[in-house]
Amino acid sequence: MNTRQKFSAGLLIIGFILALLPLSGSRSFTVRPQKLLGEVLDSNTWFTVDQVARFIVTEDSSVQIIDLRTPEEFKTVNIPGSINLPYNKFLDIDPARLLSNGKTKNIFYSNGDFDSNFALAIARGLNLKNTFVMKGGLNEWFNTVMNSTFTGERISARENALFETRTRAKKMFSEMNSMPDSLKLKFIQSTHLAAKKLDGGCE
Amino acid sequence: MVKKNREVIVIVLILLLLILFRETGKNHFKSDAKKWAESSINKSDIIITEKLGLSDGKNLLINLDKDTSRLKKNNSELLNISPDSILSKKYINSIMKHDGPVLLFSTNPGVSARVWMLLSQMGRKKLYILSDKADDEVPKYKFKPDSVPDKNL
Repeated sequence: MNTRQKFSAGLLIIGFILALLPLSGSRSFTVRPQKLLGEVLDSNTWFTVDQVARFIVTEDSSVQIIDLRTPEEFKTVNIPGSINLPYNKFLDIDPARLLSNGKTKNIFYSNGDFDSNFALAIARGLNLKNTFVMKGGLNEWFNTVMNSTFTGERISARENALFETRTRAKKMFSEMNSMPDSLKLKFIQSTHLAAKKLDGGCE
Repeated sequence: MVKKNREVIVIVLILLLLILFRETGKNHFKSDAKKWAESSINKSDIIITEKLGLSDGKNLLINLDKDTSRLKKNNSELLNISPDSILSKKYINSIMKHDGPVLLFSTNPGVSARVWMLLSQMGRKKLYILSDKADDEVPKYKFKPDSVPDKNL
């Protein structure tokens, strides 16, 4: 093999490596626009606050609730078991590190509807499946769950079940958010530990 | 000369093809997701419905709702598009080629936010969401820690 051939082989190898590497450290959407449009318009990507309340009350370990508000807002009040990933930091870190578990439903919420839905479109665009949104955000949570009252005389079984779930979720939310900050942190850590123990079976 | 450097020319052509393949295989999205999502962070992409009348008429207003009655009283060019057909050639060309601002409207803010992100990542600039609520992301709740529900519940 003469020098020119060696040089050509070297160029070819470098070319292949460069072609496989990302263009820069930045991320771009990988899902085709038409497919992404279908995914983001899928009605199954929305959960109501009642559905989220049920996940919390039943301590569903297949759900990870992600709070997109600021750390200050999160510290003041948050949905039990949620983790904080502020929307303005969403693309600073690699969201795939938090959201890549295919078995877990990642449910975004913010105060309203914009940030959570922006985040969902980004996550789906980066091919992060199992991402969902709690419709209406924490404002809707307060309207529906925290301000839930029953004033009638008769209640159907379905209404009763719904009301009971809301009441239990409201109680968990209030107890958790009434704790001093240090205890709140320990509570969050203990729930994560409990989940790990459950996942791993007996010790 | 060409015969002498045949191998080098072949290599350069292969490299050129690889680069072309990479450039065309990006699914029509711009490379930096963060850059294209930036205005969604500071909410500079949201325009309030009341301010629509103050526009200069070069806007392309896209109504993503079935109800078309909401957006008649303004001087913008109006397109009623079902969200699932927004990428059809008929519409996407007019959206991408429109010179002025493009405004998305839906009574479900989640739909306009998702479509906004999709179009903005495809490189559409001057893309805005028309919203009834300026304060959608402002907390409308006040939690009182001592308002723990009755333990008998």
